[in-house]
Amino acid sequence: MIRVRLHGRGGHGVKTAGRIVGSAAFHAGFHGQDAPVYGAERRGAAVASYAWIDRGPIRERGVIARPDLIVIADETLLADPASGVLAGAETATALFVNTDRVEALALPDSLRSRVIAADLTSRTLAALGRAAALSASLGAAAVRLLGAVPLDALLQAIRDELTAIGVAPTELGKNEQLARDVFALLQPLAFADTGKSLSLAAQSAPAASERTGGSMAQVGYEGVMRGTPSILSGGNSAARHTGAWRVQRPVIDPALCSRCGLCFVQCPDGVVSLDAEGYPVIDYDHCKGCLLCQRVCPVGAIHEERETRAW
Amino acid sequence: MRVAREHFHNLKELPKTEQLEPGSPLCAGCGGLSALRLVHQVLGENVVWVNAAGCMTLLATFPYTPMHASWLYTTMGSAAAGAQGVRDALDILIESGRLPAEENLHVVVLAGDGSTLDMGLSATSAAIHRQLDFWYLCYDNEAYGNTGFQLSAASPLGSLTATTHHGATQRKKDIFEIWRAHRPPYVATLSAHDPLDLAEKIARGKELHGPKLLLSLAVCPTGWGFDPALGDEIAKLAIETGVWPLKEAKDGVVRHTYRPSRFRPVEDYLRPQRRFRHLFAPQRNEELLSRLQQQVDAYWRDAT
Repeated sequence: MIRVRLHGRGGHGVKTAGRIVGSAAFHAGFHGQDAPVYGAERRGAAVASYAWIDRGPIRERGVIARPDLIVIADETLLADPASGVLAGAETATALFVNTDRVEALALPDSLRSRVIAADLTSRTLAALGRAAALSASLGAAAVRLLGAVPLDALLQAIRDELTAIGVAPTELGKNEQLARDVFALLQPLAFADTGKSLSLAAQSAPAASERTGGSMAQVGYEGVMRGTPSILSGGNSAARHTGAWRVQRPVIDPALCSRCGLCFVQCPDGVVSLDAEGYPVIDYDHCKGCLLCQRVCPVGAIHEERETRAW
Repeated sequence: MRVAREHFHNLKELPKTEQLEPGSPLCAGCGGLSALRLVHQVLGENVVWVNAAGCMTLLATFPYTPMHASWLYTTMGSAAAGAQGVRDALDILIESGRLPAEENLHVVVLAGDGSTLDMGLSATSAAIHRQLDFWYLCYDNEAYGNTGFQLSAASPLGSLTATTHHGATQRKKDIFEIWRAHRPPYVATLSAHDPLDLAEKIARGKELHGPKLLLSLAVCPTGWGFDPALGDEIAKLAIETGVWPLKEAKDGVVRHTYRPSRFRPVEDYLRPQRRFRHLFAPQRNEELLSRLQQQVDAYWRDAT
C-alpha cells in the first residue's frame, strides 16, 4: 500500500487534493481512499489529509503516522512543529514541497536528499488568478510522483472533485491545464506493482520492511485533569504568529488615509491599532491576510502585496 | 430609516481597548469573531464567557487563549445551564462578602446557531423561564460550521450545506421569536457591519436585569463560499436586502432599529455566495428565488 499525507493551510485545497489522489487512483483501477484530518480545518490554519492507494481492499483507517509520500503545500509549515508536517518523515520515500527556494527550507540534513520541490504557487496564480487555490496542482503533483496513475485518470478526478465542491464549470478547464503542466513538470518516483499490492520503492529511506504495519498512531486516554486542561495564563495566544497564514499582505498608505477608523473597527482579529495621531497600524505578526480592511477602506488607502516570504 | 441612539453616535465613541488578543486559530475573515470582538469591547473586561462547543471552541486551543476574561467550556446542549451555575456562584460569593460587589461579572453564553437553535434550546428555555440574569451571544453562521458546515435549524431555505447537496428544504427557525415568546427583558439582532447599532444595543441591555439575547449574523467565508475580503459587503447586503433585520424587543415589544429606505433585491445577497450558486447556474431557479424574495417581502410587510 502507498500512503500519502498532504499538509497545507485551510483554503489551500488540501482536503480536495487528497480527494483527487484517492479518486484518480480509483479511476486508474486501483483501490483508493482518502480522508481529511478532522479538527482545525479553518482557513489559514495547518490542515492535513490522507490518501491510501493499493491493488486490493484498503482496511486501514486513522492517522497516517508513517507516510510513503509527504506533500507540503506551504513551506512555512516546516517552521511550525505543532503542524506535524515531518512526523514519520524519516521513513518516507519522498517529501514534496511547494516552494521556489528549496535550498533555504528549514529541514534536517537527513531529509534533504529526499526533497522534491516545485513552485506550484506561482503556476497556480498564473493559471487561476488565485495563489491559494492549490487543490488541482497539489493533487497533480502527488499523483504524478506516485507514478502508477495515468494523466487521464488524474484529469477525470479533478473534474469530479472540483465539480463536487462547487467550482464553476468555466474554471474546470484552467484547473485541468494547470494539472497537465504540473504532471509534465515532475518525474515519477519508482514504484513496485506486484498485481496484488502497490508500493513506492524506497530510495535512501530505510528498508520497506520497516515501513509496513505500525502505521496507526496510538492515542491513549488521559485522566480528566489532563483531558480537560485549564489555561491559567490569559491572553497568551499572541505568542502564536498567525501572520504566516497570509498569501497577500494589506499595506496602508498614510498619505491617503483619512483616519476614519473603519479598518480598526472591522478587523475580525483586532490586529489593526490606532497610533497616537489616529493612524491605523497593522500588526503583521498576526494579520491573517483576509483583506477585509482593504475592502472597507472608503478612500482606497489600503492596497495588497503578494507575500513572497511568509516569515 | 434609523432609530435614535442614546449612547453611541459615531465610530470614535466606540471603546478602543482590545479585550481579545490576536493569534487565535479561527478562520481569516471570521464574521463570528468580528461580532465577538465588538461585543466584548462594549461589555468590557468584567465578563465570564460560557462557551458552548462550536467554532468558538477554537478560541482557546490548549495551551493558548486570546481571552483575558474567564472562559468556561461546555457541551453544545448545556451552556445556559453552565451560565446558571456561574451566576449562582457569583451571587453566593457576593452575598457572603467573599467577592466585592464591584467585582461582579457579566455572565455571557457564547454559542453558535447549532447550539442556540437546536441542541441547547431546552436548557436555554429553562434558564429564561427562571429569569436568570445572563447574556446570550449567538454567532449565527447558519450551519454547523466547526464540523464542516452541516445543516442546522438556522440554515436558510435553498442553501447548500455539507448535508444538503441540493439546498436546504426547510425555512430558517426564528430564534428571535422563540426567545421573545418567553418575554425576557431584551432580545436583539446585531451585525458587525453596523457596530454603532451593535454597541447601542449592548448599552441598552446593560440597564436591564434578566435574560438578554444578542443574535448576530456571522458571515462565514469558509462555509458560505466567498472571498474573506468581502465579509463586510456580504453583511451589508444581508441588511440592505432585508434578509437580516436589525431589531430589538424590550419586554416583548419589537422595534426595528434600521429599515432600509429602498430594499435591494434578495438576489444581490445570494449571488456572491457559493452556497446559493445552484440557484443561478446552470439555470436560474425562478421558483425558489421568488419564494425567497416573497418571504422577505412578507416579513417587512408585517414589521413594526
